[in-house]
Amino acid sequence: MIVYLNKEELMTLPDTGVADGVACEWEGEEVVHLHARPPRHAYGKVSPCRFIRGGTGELPPAGFCVRYEREGDGVKATAFLDGKELPLNFIPSRSELFSRSKGILEVGALAQKRVMIVGLGSFGGQIAVELAKAGVGAFALLDFDRMELHNLSRHICSVQDLGRLKTDAVADAILGKNPYAEVERFPVDINREPVLLDRETARADLVICATDNNTSRFNLTNALLRRAKPCLYGRAVTRAEGGDVFRYRPGGPCYNCLIGNGWFESRDEEITDEASARRSGRIAAYVSPEDASAMVQVGLSADIEPICNLMVKLALVELSRGLDTGLAQLEDELVYDYYMWANRRERRHANWAPFPNAAAKPTILRWYGARIARNDGCAVCGGHAELDTGDEIESRLGDMGDTSGINLDEVAGQGG
Amino acid sequence: MMTDDRYQLELGVLSRKLSPNLYRFFDLDTDEPYVVFGARTNRGNVYTLRIELDDFPESIPKVFVTRMLKDKRGHDLDSCSATMHTLTSENGRTRICHFGFDSWHPEVSIYKVFIKSRLWLEMYEQHLRTGKDIDYYLNHQD
Ligand SMILES: [Zn+2]
Repeated sequence: MIVYLNKEELMTLPDTGVADGVACEWEGEEVVHLHARPPRHAYGKVSPCRFIRGGTGELPPAGFCVRYEREGDGVKATAFLDGKELPLNFIPSRSELFSRSKGILEVGALAQKRVMIVGLGSFGGQIAVELAKAGVGAFALLDFDRMELHNLSRHICSVQDLGRLKTDAVADAILGKNPYAEVERFPVDINREPVLLDRETARADLVICATDNNTSRFNLTNALLRRAKPCLYGRAVTRAEGGDVFRYRPGGPCYNCLIGNGWFESRDEEITDEASARRSGRIAAYVSPEDASAMVQVGLSADIEPICNLMVKLALVELSRGLDTGLAQLEDELVYDYYMWANRRERRHANWAPFPNAAAKPTILRWYGARIARNDGCAVCGGHAELDTGDEIESRLGDMGDTSGINLDEVAGQGG
Repeated sequence: MMTDDRYQLELGVLSRKLSPNLYRFFDLDTDEPYVVFGARTNRGNVYTLRIELDDFPESIPKVFVTRMLKDKRGHDLDSCSATMHTLTSENGRTRICHFGFDSWHPEVSIYKVFIKSRLWLEMYEQHLRTGKDIDYYLNHQD
């Protein structure tokens, strides 16, 4: 059981010694939030409601009641409270929900698409909800983390989601926008679950890679190559002073081809979570807690929003490819493999031009695209892979000395 | 996880670079494959290195000297140290920090991991002679 409590509420309780509060539990999730006063959020009070089919059954004198009748393909309903009729509204049906984006999106086609999202932090969560708003019909959510304080400020989920698995919290956010979406939750470490990763990649029409470490990006890349599925990789660099998006399409350059390219710098990737960065090794084990907390530098939500936004657009273009939609012309414009964005002229963007009078020079708050060449010698996607054999270190070592006398059967006795 | 193609590539590099008595793979068909190398330093001392391949080449493999080494003052090299380039030991084996996180990529061969570790052993022996930290010789891992 994971329990959360608001300390400030305790400070405001009267001094009488005893007070009645509430324990709000996420059903079946073993997560409880204790409150001195009932919090104001969705479904604060739950009462019984009786459903009566047909026009003849007697109405209960008190409480909520719905009288309904099937009519052809549809249904007719009236609601009552304490025997008096209430004005009634209807939650939109599947076809009504997205009717307003008709003409721009092929809503019917998107409802048939399945998107797999790896990593449900501020990027993955936001992109999931935006795709749900656009009418994407099925999602596979992969993340083993829970909602914690440090990821709350930029995340689409709210304070009452603290302690919940991100897969559960983001699934609810998706269903809040599209109650008809099919959402499958996988609270697993993809680096430990290669079979599941491969199976889910095969089922997806598009993959969103929003993790914060290269090991999972590489593992995912292998699955994408095997299953020939497109993927969008997005991230922010230090303090979200900028960010980038990489699009993999089957047959094109892979994420490992990108890393060897001069455009891409993996060194200054934004670190938002110390525990996760320590797990992956981005923060080395010997770094002190003080130094580590200085390395965790979280940018503004407003600074990562543009990066999420481009990922959503690229996702919709990818999912609508070949369909006659208002997005078709974007296919001819979003032609790059790699996209760069700067929020501020700092560090790696320090020598970009000021926003006024930038002319042809790169400046802030604009997207720049680049084509990435596929590397024939790429160890991941290349046909003739060449490994890095560390020639420069060999030359530092000089010759290997006389190793002829080494017998592994003997030396392995030292505990090998 | 290492694919069979990748394994063959690695074997190709190793057979070009090292005599076959210096390396042997273990448990390749399990979740925890590893390879053991024999190394002789320039001063003639023999060590064995164990390179664990469970997440290779997607992440940095763990490298151990197959026994607990001691520093010049006689203390076990069993914990994280930025100046000695070690990480927390496991099963009584000193663990070498051989690669910086940001510079890892899947093209790095097992052979390169081995010779970086071999270089560390050279620096370790320098440390035993001079008392200077390994960091003094390696400056930084790249
Ligand atoms: Zn590649």
